[in-house]
This record gives sequence, structure tokens and C-alpha cells, in this order.
Amino acid sequence: MLEIVAQAVINGLLIGGIYALVSIGVTLIFGVVKIVNFAQGEFVMIGMYITYFLGTQFGMDPVLSLVISMPVLFVIGMLVQHFLIRRVLGLNDLPQIFLTFALSLLILNVALMVLTPNYRTLHTSYSDAALHFGGLYVPVAKLIAFGVAMLLSAVLWLFLRSTDLGKAMRAASQNREVAQLMGINPHRVFAVALGIALALAGAAGSLLMPFYPAYPMVGQVFVLMAFVAVVLGTLGNVVGALVASLLMGIAESLGIQFIGADSGLIVVFLLLLATLALRPSGLAAGRAS
Amino acid sequence: MSLGGRRGAVAAIVVVLVAVLPLMVKSSFALDILIRILLFAFIGTAWNLLGGYAKQFSLGHAAFFGLGAYTSSLLEVNYGISPWLGMLAGGFVALLASLPIGWLCFRLRGPYFTIATIATAQVLMLIFLKFRDFAWGAEGTTMPNLGDAPLMMQFDGKAAYYYVALGLLLVSLGVTAWIERSRAGYYLVALGEDQDAAEAVGIDVPRMKRDILMLSAFLTAMAGTFYVQYIYFIDPNTAFNFSISIEAALVSIVGGVGTLFGPLIGTVLLETTAALLQSWLGNQAGVQVTVYSVILMAVILWRPTGITGYALELYARRRAKA
Amino acid sequence: MAEALVVQDLSKRFGGLRAVQEVSFTVRENETLALIGPNGAGKTTAFNLIMGFYRPDGGSVRAFGRELVGLRPHAVCALGVARTFQVAKPFGGMTVLENVMTGAFLRERRPAAAHAKAREAIAFAGLSARERSAARDLTTIDQRRLEMARALATEPRLLLLDEVMAGLNPAEVDQAVALVHKLAARGLTIVIVEHLMRAVMALARHIVVLDHGQKIAEGNPTEVMNNPEVVRAYLGSSGHR
Repeated sequence: MLEIVAQAVINGLLIGGIYALVSIGVTLIFGVVKIVNFAQGEFVMIGMYITYFLGTQFGMDPVLSLVISMPVLFVIGMLVQHFLIRRVLGLNDLPQIFLTFALSLLILNVALMVLTPNYRTLHTSYSDAALHFGGLYVPVAKLIAFGVAMLLSAVLWLFLRSTDLGKAMRAASQNREVAQLMGINPHRVFAVALGIALALAGAAGSLLMPFYPAYPMVGQVFVLMAFVAVVLGTLGNVVGALVASLLMGIAESLGIQFIGADSGLIVVFLLLLATLALRPSGLAAGRAS
Repeated sequence: MSLGGRRGAVAAIVVVLVAVLPLMVKSSFALDILIRILLFAFIGTAWNLLGGYAKQFSLGHAAFFGLGAYTSSLLEVNYGISPWLGMLAGGFVALLASLPIGWLCFRLRGPYFTIATIATAQVLMLIFLKFRDFAWGAEGTTMPNLGDAPLMMQFDGKAAYYYVALGLLLVSLGVTAWIERSRAGYYLVALGEDQDAAEAVGIDVPRMKRDILMLSAFLTAMAGTFYVQYIYFIDPNTAFNFSISIEAALVSIVGGVGTLFGPLIGTVLLETTAALLQSWLGNQAGVQVTVYSVILMAVILWRPTGITGYALELYARRRAKA
Repeated sequence: MAEALVVQDLSKRFGGLRAVQEVSFTVRENETLALIGPNGAGKTTAFNLIMGFYRPDGGSVRAFGRELVGLRPHAVCALGVARTFQVAKPFGGMTVLENVMTGAFLRERRPAAAHAKAREAIAFAGLSARERSAARDLTTIDQRRLEMARALATEPRLLLLDEVMAGLNPAEVDQAVALVHKLAARGLTIVIVEHLMRAVMALARHIVVLDHGQKIAEGNPTEVMNNPEVVRAYLGSSGHR
């Protein structure tokens, strides 16, 4: 019994790492730019397809493809900020919500048209490999994904803590007016925030390819998890999003194991509703990010 | 003719046209489009009360649509109760459901309120998909074909459905117009603009949000009943479909949130565009929504007040010059 | 004379920050009290506590004999307490008239009556020429007038004015001071939070000084201005504490 639980926890933890990359991006954008990026999942999808094509056309390993997918998505992020988001800053909620929402629909449906709804999978040498610890079964691909995800999260954390730009982002996140008074150019900071967030989403996509199929709608699942994690981890709080994502991965996995194969989503939603009911400001509320 | 007289004449012509349209239009396809326009204008107008005036942007109205659809269907199939009564019952079920839903979702503001509403509709869909004991599960059911049975909201030919949908739309427009002029209307717009300032002038913001959600839910549920009766079929995917939530919001944004006729104008634009696209390009996956999303983005980037807002601005500018 | 507002041991902390610490003062009916102090002293927080936007951690607030702690802002407003905001919060999409009508609807259910009352309040505030303008298009001074007219339309007995002079040029300050005098002449009890000493001197005989959340002085203008604690608070606020 303990083994079953432990296995479910491991499974959940590993996929939680991917959720973390997606949700950190969402919470970073929300904290710094004060906008909810409904399209975050679509950028995961783009990352997946980039890695898929690099893998099938050039035989490039998914982890290696990060070198391409992350910068590409970083640039896309800066473009999105410059051409789209900048125009709705300072307007009220409606344009901000529906802009990224429309962007999400647009990217998803263009993908449907161009790439067709078919599932694409990428098989690597380690797609089926697994490590065995005691009675536990740890898929190598997922372990690598988790490891890289944690590495990227750590790098981001260092960036936010130690570099000037990172500190500027945290300042803008906490108090925009003061940050502006201090001479920080908000648009530059926003562009970097968008770039980082989308790069993380792309990384999530690339890391998923060895064990998850790419298809146009794939982003929707991950963005939903991301949003719940962001709320649970407190809006704008990067560490909170990370921890919440791991917890949610575990909760989903336990739900699948003990309630039923299709109940993962219900468990997650119930978590969201419980958070809303009991502690709407999230688990990390009141503490600095 | 004076301006008032001229406007009155135009209004009269419009009324007559709208009233006799189904008798003039023989094509079933065209009638279907008209009915869809009326139905989604009705849903959009109901959404607009909460999302347009009070600026609480719900993307979960499919929850109420589905609850209305299932209530009347269950009552008809299990107890033979007329969907006319079922429509009202569905409205009340949605109204009651909106209390806990509102309590949960209003704990968040802005985009996170929106996400919570999405989650709510999804949860309901999942529940109706999974638990087949009380509501047919994932396969859904077809409604019994009773032929021409007006008392059971089933009609031969589409004209009658047109008039029912028209009636629903007129009800929602009437309710909206009445609210617009009343104290509640001012209070809704105020809380949509600035919740704290609204509280500071004595507006019970939580109660207003709760009340307008109840009304919006009630009306949206009625649309659900109509839809089931129109297509003779119900399943969770149809009843709680996210695209219903999207279109409810979309037509108001494009047409002009917080205006009386905004949702109707938006529906006419979007549905005719969809119909044209369908006849040119067929049903290829992704095309229609791509066009919708481009329209939506264009509106948001250049004319966030929607078509009506833009028209009003032009009108105000012309009057200022005169 | 009766007591309009009795604040007793009011306290509020945000995490580690003690924003308001056991502040007490009393405002008599038809008096104008000025709440002054360096930036961050807790003045606006005190207003938010009185209006019910925050719940205090301790203490009590009684207005005209009624306890306000625990009431939501709209209930506080219904009891006769109104406020303006430091950063003006007009209902941007509405016209001036519609903004003030929203306030008037508190006491008048019917649109026609609310309309009439709103026009009265607008005239009082000197905004009649701008009745049909969109609120978001107003100049700063006019937005202040709008805030006052809207608050006035709720028929308050106690009015909290939060830094109404901020961002006004000297001529506009004179106009704003005159308006506040007119409000006082109507019998209103007024509490102003203000940085501009000229306005404070012109409007208030009773001053309370806050610093770092605590009351450090209270009295008439002469007493307060000569109080060494007050001098130190203002001079010392630019350095480190």
C-alpha cells in the first residue's frame, strides 16, 4: 500500500515539475505586468511542436532543443509584450482579460488549421527507459524533465534575487509607482518578464515531448493546472507557484490512483474551489515573494 | 417629419419586419441562422447584465445554460412536465445554483474571477459526464418526438421557434432597459467602474453582485431549455460547452458591453460572419474560431468599447461640433 | 455640543507593520478636525478603518453614538459618514451628473428625485457647467469637486476628506478651502487629512498629529505648531529612524 502511494507521489511530483514551469510563467507575468496570460498553454504547445520538428527533421534531442525553443519563445514573449500587451496596459480588466484570451484562441485554432488535430509523438532513446529504486518505477524522461524544470526554476530564483533586472522586476511587482519613481523602465521590465515566462512555457513543452503527445489543444490542460497553482500559491508569488504545482501534481496523481483514471481534473478543480472557499488569497498570502 | 417622428417610423418598420420575417424567409438554413441570432443575442443580453454593466466577466455562463437544459429535460422525460414550466423551473435551479457559485467565485476579483467561473462550468460538465445515474451520463439523450405539440414546446417548422426565441430576446431586452433606468442600473455600472468607491457611496456591492448574477443565471438557463427543445438532443458536452460561455461574452464585447443593444449587434455580426465562413470554407477545424479571435483582438486593440461604443463616440463628436 | 466621532484606541497592523497604534481622538459636531503627520503616519489608514474598508485589530469607532467597527463601508455610509479618496475615484464611464446621482440614490429611490438632489449637490460644488461631461475627462480640481459633490449627495453628517488639496495650484487651493468652509457652514462635521499647512490653518481649530501610527500631539494650531515632538517628526521624517 505504501508502495502504491509512494509511486503515485513520485509520478505526481515529476509531472508537477512541468506544471511548475508553466505556472511560474503565469504568476511572473501577473506579478510584474498585472495581466493574466490566458495563452500560456499555447506557448507550451509551440514549444512542443518546435521540439517535435527538430527531433523528427534533425534528430535533435529534446533537452538539447531547449537551446532553440527557449530563445525563440523568449523573443516571441517580447514581441507579444511590445505589440499587444503594451496597448492594453492601463485599461481596465476587460481588454486585458480578453486580449490574451483571444490570443490563446487564435494560436490554438491556427495550429488546428495548419498542423491538424493529429497527435504527434516523439520517441527518444530514453522514452521508455526507467530507473528502479526499491519497488518504485521512475521513468527517465520524466525524471530528466523534472530535473531540468527544477534547475530552470532555481536559475530564475537567483536571477530575481541577485541581478539588477531581477530586482527591478520584483520591485515592479510589489509597487509599480515606486519602481517607476526609481527610474525603472516598466516596458523593458515587462518585456523581459513576458520573455522569461514564455521561455519557461516553451521549456515545459520541449521537456514534455519524450513522453507526451503534441496536439493543438494540449496547452489547455496545462494552463488550467497552471492557473490553479497560481491561485493556490498566491498570485504573483513565484515560490508559491512552484510549491503549489508540485502539490497539485501529487494530488492529481493520488486522485488518478485511488479514485479513477479520469478524476485527476476533478481533484484539481476541487482543490481550486476549496482554496477559494477557505483561503482565497492563497497559501503564501501575507509573506513576501 | 421631426426627428422623433422619423425615429418612430424607423422603429415601426423594424418591428414589422422582424415580426413577419419568418413568413417571408422560406429557406430552413436562413431561418436557422435567424433563430441562432435571436438565441445568442438573448444569452448575450443576459450575460451583459453581469459582465457588461457590472463588469464581472464570467466565462462560465454555460453552467447556467446547462442547468436550465438539464432541468427541463429531466422534468419532461421523467415526469412528462411541459418544457414551458420546465423553462421556469430551470431558471430557478440556475438561480439557486448561482448562490454558492457566486459566493465562491466573487471571492476573487478581475481575471481570477473569470478563471473561477470557467472552472465552475467545467466542474458541472465533468459531474454530468461522470454520474450517469441521474442524467444519462456522457451519451445524453434525445428528446421524445411528439410531432407538433405547442404545449410541450415542440413545433412543426421553424417559424414558431423563431417567435419563441424572439419573445425571449424581447424579455431580456425589456429587463435590461428597465434596469438601466433604475437605481439598480446606476449601482451596477458604479460597482463595475470602481467597487470601493461604490461602497463608499452606500452601495451594498456584494449583494448587488449576487442579485444580478441570479438574474443573469435565470435568463441564461431559459436559453438552455429552448436550445434542447430546438435540437431535440442533450448531452453534457452540448449543454455545458465552453463555446457557449465564450459566445455569450464575445457578442457583448464586440457589440458594446454595458449597452442595451450591444449584444444583439454583436450577435448579428458574428453569426452572419460564421454563416458566411461556413458556406465559403466548409467546416474545416479551426477556421471559424480563428476569424472570431481575430475580430475579438481587433476590437480590443482598437475599439474596446465595441461597435456601439464607437458609434456613440462618433455620435457625441458630431453633436459637439454642431 | 454632542460628539460626532469618537475614535478610541484604534489599532491596525499589516504583517509586521503597525500602521495605526492605539489612536484616540474625539470630534465634536460641526467641528473641523485636521489629521496631519508625515508620510506613512497612518492617516489614510485611519480613514479606511473608520469607513470600514479595513477591520481594526483593536479599538472602537463611534459616530453619532453608533459603533462602526464591523460594518461594511456601505453601511457606514448609510449611517451618515462619507469620504473622498486621496487618489480620486470617479466612475469614469459615467457623466458628472450620473456619478452624483449614484450617491443621491442612497436616500432617494426614484430616479427623478435622485436627479434633482444630484443637481443640487453639483451646484453646491460649483460643477454645474460640467454636469454632462464624462467624469474621466475632468481636471484634477474638478475631480475633487466631483468627489465632494458625490459624497455630499449621500447626505452625510460626517465627511472625511483625504488630501483634497494635493496637486492643486494656489488659486485652486483657495477655491477648495472656500468649498470646505461652505460644507462646514451647512453643519457638517469634517475631518481632513492634509499636508498643506496653509489649508490646515485656514480650516481647522482642532488638530491631531500622527507619526508612525501613533498620536504624538493634539490641540489648537498654536499648541501643535510649537510642540517639539511635532517639529521633530516632520524634520526627522526625511532622515532615518
